Amino acid sequence: MAFLELGERLRQRGQLAAAATVALAGLGHYPAVADAHDLLARIRADQGNDAGAIAAWHATLECDTGHLGARKGLAFIAFRSGEFALAERYLEAAAMGAPHDATILAALDRVRSLPRGSTEDAVRLADPASGVLLFDMQGMRLAGTVADSGDVSVADAVSADAAGLAREATRAARLLGLGAVRHIVLETADARIAVIPVRHDAALLLHRSASTPLGRLLALGGRAAHAAREWLERMQ
Amino acid sequence: MSIAGWQDALREVTGVAGVRGALIISAEDGLVIAETAMDDLATADVAALSAALVSRARRCTAALHATPPESVHLVGERGAVLAVAGPAPLWLVAVARDDAELGRLRLVLRDAAGALH
Amino acid sequence: MRVLEPWVADPLTEFLRESGARLALVMTSSGQVIAQDGFTRSLDVMSAAALGAGILATTQELATILDAPRGFGAIVHQGERQGVWLAGFDTPRGRWIGLVVFGHESSVGLVRLFFARFAQQVAAAAPVVTPVREVLAEGFERELDDSLRALFGTR
Repeated sequence: MAFLELGERLRQRGQLAAAATVALAGLGHYPAVADAHDLLARIRADQGNDAGAIAAWHATLECDTGHLGARKGLAFIAFRSGEFALAERYLEAAAMGAPHDATILAALDRVRSLPRGSTEDAVRLADPASGVLLFDMQGMRLAGTVADSGDVSVADAVSADAAGLAREATRAARLLGLGAVRHIVLETADARIAVIPVRHDAALLLHRSASTPLGRLLALGGRAAHAAREWLERMQ
Repeated sequence: MSIAGWQDALREVTGVAGVRGALIISAEDGLVIAETAMDDLATADVAALSAALVSRARRCTAALHATPPESVHLVGERGAVLAVAGPAPLWLVAVARDDAELGRLRLVLRDAAGALH
Repeated sequence: MRVLEPWVADPLTEFLRESGARLALVMTSSGQVIAQDGFTRSLDVMSAAALGAGILATTQELATILDAPRGFGAIVHQGERQGVWLAGFDTPRGRWIGLVVFGHESSVGLVRLFFARFAQQVAAAAPVVTPVREVLAEGFERELDDSLRALFGTR
């Protein structure tokens, strides 16, 4: 099917809108073709539309329950979102279908090597150039780092200042009648930073490059906040 | 830019649906320089608290070894404050209701703050 | 923190915490000290109270000459490393003055915002009014000495 090849070529060139148009047009004619849904899912993933990608890969699996690309894709999205246990399940299912696929086995090894139940595990998102920090409102770091160097002194300093920012935001919101703080976003020339309250006594900071769309930053932050909240509750 | 030009910039911001007021503040002393706002908006309080927020944001980005913030958004359940840096020490600040189009407001603020130079 | 009137302590504590001010001095319009926080030497308190009351009195006269009988609200001196906020406010005990020193960790705007709240809280917290004793010029120094003894202990 020519549209699959054309759509993939456009995706690889980064022409995502055009690729999506081709994929959707193809799906209009061949709605039961698993590879067509898989193509659309990969385009959605490249667009940062995780929900769209997940829906398309689920549609892929409805057409072909053993579709390797869909399982790997779902594992990738789960891994990127910090849901390592889910990523492992998808990869295990993929490995059963292709026990000699080296890429799947390597990915499985990597996911399994991650420290489970650690504080970082709860909030880590796959982006080695940036980071996630969880801190209490007194400015003490609870988990996470802000750079791949793992420099804890930087992370501790950022925790202290981010807690100050969160407290300031809470005060401003209270005095200006803005209600409970949903998030604080800072845009700099080289970074996008979101500070999101997790509970009354803790918040997290998400640090990404300036090219990260704000909506995506907040979606990631929301997910990380959810994971952090669960982790804090388990701790108590 | 003239005072009249500042007022034009403020009017552009308050033209966005859901915006309760727009201010030009001095981030150094937390005071209002110019404003266009609804009567019930305590603009002096907004200026003081926005400047404090910007000051905290600067410390946070410095700790991250990032460049200073060009915009600071505080979004709450019942409204939001968006602040965008203009020529130092000025910041353009908007106060919005919870139903405001924040994406559009962010872009309008950025353009208007650029025009303050 | 040292206070002559215990009901001033809570509003002043909140003001200092919220505004981030470094020093605060609350006094009557005649310079009698009501409360202070951050000063370590009694001489400084005495001087600051006298000078602050004098500056506000002088400014009030200037306001009268300029046909602004309600005065100028507040006086701000902004230095390189710190600023001074000086303002009068009405209480059931008469007109009082606040002298606040703040640094880069605060701002004029924050001091203005939380000083207004402080003044409201003090007015609300003041016990039932008792007759205010007129402070005569000759009693001024003695009043200051009495205040300082209470604020710093025996000198």
